[in-house]
Amino acid sequence: MRFLMMSMATDEPADEQLYAEMGKFIQEMTAKGVLLATGGLAPEAVVITSVGDEVTVTDGPFAEAREAVGGFALVEVGSKEEAIELGRRFRRIVGDGRSVIQQVFGP
Amino acid sequence: MPYIRATVDAVWRLESARIVAALMRLLHDVGPAEEIAQDALVAALEQWPATGVPDNPGAWLTTIAKRRAVDHIRRARRFEELAPRLAVDALEEQPDDVLRLMFISCHPALPPRTRAALTLRMVAGLSAAEIARAFLTTEQVILRRIAEAKRVLAEAGARFELPPPEELAARLSSVLEVLYLIFNEGYAATAGDDLLRPELTREALRLGRILAELAPDEAEAHGLVALMEIQASRSAARTGPDGVPVQLHDQDRGLWDPLLIRRGFTALLRARELGGTPGPYVLQAAIAVCHAQARTAADTDWAQIATLYELLEQRVPTPVVRLNRAVAVGFARGPQAGLDLVDPLLTDPALRDFHLLPGVRADLLLRLGRTAEARREFERAAGLATNTAERAFLLKRAESTNTANRDALSTYTHHPAGTAPGETTAAGATLGEAADAFLARDDLEAATLRSYRQTMRRLRRTLGDRLPLSAITADDVARTFATAWGGAAPATWNRHVAAARTFAAWSGSPALTGQLSKKDLPDRPPKQGVAWDTGNAPLRESAPLRESALWTLIGESGAPIHHVLSLNVEDLDLEDRRARAGRRWITWRSGTARLLPRLLAGRTRGPVFLADRRPVPSRPLADADRCPETGRRRLSYERAEYLCKQLTGRTLSELKHPPNGQL
Repeated sequence: MRFLMMSMATDEPADEQLYAEMGKFIQEMTAKGVLLATGGLAPEAVVITSVGDEVTVTDGPFAEAREAVGGFALVEVGSKEEAIELGRRFRRIVGDGRSVIQQVFGP
Repeated sequence: MPYIRATVDAVWRLESARIVAALMRLLHDVGPAEEIAQDALVAALEQWPATGVPDNPGAWLTTIAKRRAVDHIRRARRFEELAPRLAVDALEEQPDDVLRLMFISCHPALPPRTRAALTLRMVAGLSAAEIARAFLTTEQVILRRIAEAKRVLAEAGARFELPPPEELAARLSSVLEVLYLIFNEGYAATAGDDLLRPELTREALRLGRILAELAPDEAEAHGLVALMEIQASRSAARTGPDGVPVQLHDQDRGLWDPLLIRRGFTALLRARELGGTPGPYVLQAAIAVCHAQARTAADTDWAQIATLYELLEQRVPTPVVRLNRAVAVGFARGPQAGLDLVDPLLTDPALRDFHLLPGVRADLLLRLGRTAEARREFERAAGLATNTAERAFLLKRAESTNTANRDALSTYTHHPAGTAPGETTAAGATLGEAADAFLARDDLEAATLRSYRQTMRRLRRTLGDRLPLSAITADDVARTFATAWGGAAPATWNRHVAAARTFAAWSGSPALTGQLSKKDLPDRPPKQGVAWDTGNAPLRESAPLRESALWTLIGESGAPIHHVLSLNVEDLDLEDRRARAGRRWITWRSGTARLLPRLLAGRTRGPVFLADRRPVPSRPLADADRCPETGRRRLSYERAEYLCKQLTGRTLSELKHPPNGQL
């Protein structure tokens, strides 16, 4: 099963130590064969909304930084609990904040 | 509680390889290492519900496991011997410990399926129940397989270390083979099982990715990962909504997983950057990449694929690779070029029951416009396919071939050399119908019938039940024989030739077996003691009268031995030197004629050849088998054979083919 883990952006700028630990964690997850893709997201966002036939494009940023996703990881594991365990490890590295895990269906 | 259980399982899946490897480093024995790892898992299941999941569950499990390992060593009183190792760096984990573990679980001393089970257990952290479910077997079978593996590894003295450089390539290919076996076990399964089996492909991919990280300089490891990633990318497109397999060129490429394709590309690039001669997995991955790069089936670079298959065939010259190459060539250079490569495979015994061979031929023949032959090959393929969905698919193709060319059957009027059109009595019948009618004859003995049935079964499987008899050529029959029995003993070959000739004559097309000839039987090694072929007359004379008469009659008449033994005095026509036995006549020459009157000694009824003793009264005996005059029973085959072997060193049937034609 695949899970997408999204982590909300924080106002705190990341220091070098955090980058190093993150890098190590990513490497470890890759070596364990569970991490399929990962990346950080730029704060600038474009919002596309549709109402009826009308599609509106609005430039971000979001009203509240806490709502914005700062990074994601797509993992392939055998159970939801495995994804949660990976999420716990990740949160232990990055400190205060919030991540959301959702299962990905298909393809 | 269920939540804790799932969490423990999750941690276990992520950490077990490292933990088992660390234990191997301590204990150097798969048996206790694996058992202690399981103990640690049980400890977590007992304690975590009360204490909660520890902050670092992996470290917790490792600590418990190591503590128990040390206890184990103490109990085994090997502590003193092992103490120095414990003191120094034994507890220190090495980065390649998991790789060492893979080399152990894929040890060549184990059969491949056992390697697969052990690897899933020790490296992937699956439970025996999970492995059993994935391999469609029972937990007991898996547990037995694992226990057996531990014993074999201990006996083989498998060491927890990386193989020496000279063995590395072979040992690595053993690991790759196991991972690909696990992958295919999941990937090859089709409808019905698809709830369980994707687990296996995922595990194999995961293990492959781990291996590629642990052995980054091995191009074949990256090649295998690339191959598996790209094959897995097609999972969703491989079966239609009704579970019917969808062939590669008919698949909806929009369903291919672009993420896995990209990962496959990356892995293949890493393999290529390492350089060297591409190995089998790199070549197969390169072929898979060619397919993945084509936006539509028509865009496929078949020339490139044909070239890659040619390279693969040089490395792995198996019939299946040859068949795949023929498919590629068929697309790259036209169906005739493909067919030229496929046809030689028809005589390969390894492929004689492989449904894809007629399937591929059918495709090529269809593209050549040889529709009648194509239909016949589709039907043959359907007859050989074991998967229900696949068989239905092939039959559908056969039928559609038929409707598209309603007059296709008329092309059968073309008769290649060797058959005699118009001469056949069963010309309208199919091979299946003719064979059924042939075997339904009631004048055949059970043993003969069994033998004929074997011959006919092979002909039907190879040529197809629905093929009109009139379309079979002598070439077809000769090819079937070469493939099926070319390597068999001459006696076996001759038995099938005789059966085929009988069938050909019966069906009115004797030319069918025109290209078959019997093989010479090898000379039997000379028997010691008695020389039957030289000076047999004195031997015969020195033998008891009954034996002498029996052997002479068998030799002169060439009749089946049980017919000779079943003769009664009243059947004999001494004057004309012949006797009635069932539906046939047995005839003899002067030798028998001289001996018979002496043997009969005036008897007028009952068995000609009598046993020495009277029957035991308690044993009921048919009147026909008892001499009304002496009360003695008929000589049995077993007894006659025994006496013959005793006195001459030969069997009764050998008397029918006396060496040098003497008797």
